Amino acid sequence: MRSELRAKLWMGLAYFVVLEALLVAAMLYWPQFAKNLEHLKSLIPLDVLRDMADKIEESGASAYVHAQHFFKGCNALGGLVAVIFAMNAVAGEAQRGTLEIWLARPLSRRRLLLERWCAGAFWICVPVLVSTATVPWLGSLVDETFDLPLLLLCAVHQCLFLLAIYSITFLASAASSNPLAIGFTMLLGAIGELSLYMIERLTHWSAFRFADVGLYQQIYDGGSLPWRITLSLAAVSVVCVLAALRVFARRTP
Amino acid sequence: MNASTPTTGTLRASGLVRRFGTKTALAGVDLEAGPGGVIGLLGPNGSGKSTLLRILYGLVRPDAGSVELDGAPLEGDGLAIRQRASYAPGEIALYGELTGEKHLAFLLRGRGREALEKANSTARELGLPLERRVRGYSHGMKRQLLLSAALAPSVRVRILDEPSEGLDPAKRGEVLALLEREKAAGTTILLSSHHLGEIDRICDRLVFLHQGKKLADETRERVLERARRLVRVSFDAAPEERVLAGLPGVARLRLEGARAAIELESDDPREFLAALASERRLSAPRAIEYGALSLPDLLRELYGVEAL
Repeated sequence: MRSELRAKLWMGLAYFVVLEALLVAAMLYWPQFAKNLEHLKSLIPLDVLRDMADKIEESGASAYVHAQHFFKGCNALGGLVAVIFAMNAVAGEAQRGTLEIWLARPLSRRRLLLERWCAGAFWICVPVLVSTATVPWLGSLVDETFDLPLLLLCAVHQCLFLLAIYSITFLASAASSNPLAIGFTMLLGAIGELSLYMIERLTHWSAFRFADVGLYQQIYDGGSLPWRITLSLAAVSVVCVLAALRVFARRTP
Repeated sequence: MNASTPTTGTLRASGLVRRFGTKTALAGVDLEAGPGGVIGLLGPNGSGKSTLLRILYGLVRPDAGSVELDGAPLEGDGLAIRQRASYAPGEIALYGELTGEKHLAFLLRGRGREALEKANSTARELGLPLERRVRGYSHGMKRQLLLSAALAPSVRVRILDEPSEGLDPAKRGEVLALLEREKAAGTTILLSSHHLGEIDRICDRLVFLHQGKKLADETRERVLERARRLVRVSFDAAPEERVLAGLPGVARLRLEGARAAIELESDDPREFLAALASERRLSAPRAIEYGALSLPDLLRELYGVEAL
């Protein structure tokens, strides 16, 4: 497990640094954003984005953090990292021919696969949680206060959303030998989902509805997770990991 | 592995079938090995050698048949077998970013510290620069690294897919010396090889595979004896098979146009040669070859297998 964690260390750290840098920049920009929000709203071309701006106007800095950190930063960057980690998990080994030596050790395939999944999951979630934990301190720099437990609740939901993306890609990787094809398919899927999200009449069909500003504001204001959605995301991960284990057990190196 | 499990190094496989899509890689192969001894798997490319070794090590599931190593059956993901054996793959693909030392640690995870120390010592004995990244290794060095790892665990069965492929003659000699040491220690070794010197030097038993089927399974002595009893005769025109088969001392006959490969019943060809010379229904032979044949010649003549 330690070697699996070490293998993803640099990418995990880079992900955290970029996520934190985006958050710092966004937080420091908040006073100016708040001052010019009315003017900015008139420039927004899409209804969905205008709704988002309305929520920020209504709820203030917390909605701004949800938009900048969770919806933009974590969804885009975290989603990318989740796909990169997962697409290479097994398919990457097969492509470079190292699957045989990976499997040839006296360790069960279940253990090998779960270790790899857990290491990736760790590096996907920890940067989200740690960067979210810095929000109250960053807020104090711009005279804003945040409730840390509520923010962490949002971060937990964000992690489950990213883990669902990670696990779907992981399942594809367990069955395939072409990581790039998996990556491109997931990228196209993400672009398609985002396009759906941006069209007001179709936005409810998009997976990004499960991790958007409205939902995070609901968690932050209500103090509890939207259990139906959260459990569904967790169930997607569990089902995908179980399916990956089944596929991997029969896999020929 | 349970410490009380008897580990004699006895491997039994029966009825192994494996298909990849429409291609049948193995078509019902039986094999028994050990305790002790070196078994060489021979056959042309695509004959099923690597698939058989992977199945015996629990890396590939057979479509039919069973494998048992010291009483532990091949089931599930083959963990019970992998715990009781070690393996060196035929295809070389390593993690180039790791140093030789770290790579050995990776390969030997789950084998204990003692195995790692032994592998490091073997690799140094072979002159591998373990502090260097593996991406800078030559093909032969990578092969030796894999072999160092495969010879390290304290197990009674080692499965080696072309262990000396890509090595220069000096290194091959060193590797064979290591294998001889293992053999002397009573380890059961299964290896596939295209290298005849290697087979001749260390194998006790030879198993010939062709198109996924076992053509023969004989001791090295028996194969060499058959080689000594083989006579190749070339005629100007195809001889009558019936006449040739009726000559005294002929045990087996394979006719290919005007060429005949004849396996005699004994080491002494004189009676046969005299009868051949005096048989009026046959044209005078153009060439007669007799004596110990090379292994590829033997395979071609006895089994019709063209190349190793």
